[in-house]
Amino acid sequence: MTRQTQGTTLFTALLVLIGIGVVVQLWLLAASVDAVLRHNVQIPLHAALGSVIVFLINGGLVMYVFWFDKRIKQ
Amino acid sequence: MAENDCKDCKDCKKQARWREDFPITWESDNYITRREMVKFLGLGSLLIAGANFMVAGVPHLVRATSYPQTRLGLMSEIPVGGSRLFNYPTGDDPCIVVHKDDGTLVAYSQVCTHLSCAVIHSEKDNALFCPCHNGYFTVNEGRPYAGPPTRPLPRIKLEQRGEEIYAIGVEV
Repeated sequence: MTRQTQGTTLFTALLVLIGIGVVVQLWLLAASVDAVLRHNVQIPLHAALGSVIVFLINGGLVMYVFWFDKRIKQ
Repeated sequence: MAENDCKDCKDCKKQARWREDFPITWESDNYITRREMVKFLGLGSLLIAGANFMVAGVPHLVRATSYPQTRLGLMSEIPVGGSRLFNYPTGDDPCIVVHKDDGTLVAYSQVCTHLSCAVIHSEKDNALFCPCHNGYFTVNEGRPYAGPPTRPLPRIKLEQRGEEIYAIGVEV
């Protein structure tokens, strides 16, 4: 397997993982809005914390893409 | 790519010279690369996380709003076991105050949490009753215990100053 094929597979996998993370965040956002409309205070806070954790994971994956590109260019 | 296989031309030799400095074809310009998509999703992830925090902050902002202090009348004006209607916090928000048998007062929004009909005090059942769909709420806590409503009635905070009763806030 060539390095280019490996890179393509890797980035496709990262893209899918980040996409799943964004879908989870959208679900958390919808649950938060639902909880706010039901006058629940705790659920939106926990959902926001969960959303930040998912964002940190996504951000780490995006940073890995940048780092990988930088390493390849060097 | 073969010399005569360009997407937007027949013969590369016949192209304008600026093509050498800008060799991107129109079609390939429309493609979105995986890296661009990853960046887009990363930015989307940040925006959604921010939106989630904004949504989480809404109840705290609503709670921070100050409510007026409205005089409801004298305690003796409401008979024990009876009720009285008033509007709070604005003139368009109907509420009901009930003088319980133990001598204390409780007040709730009169708007049913099912379909916004006006609830009334039922002395016979010792409950707040919504005649539209036979919804029942407890007088002590305003919780629904029969009928279609699932959410409790917003409670109006009361304060007693001597004989006078004041509404001072709304507890959702």
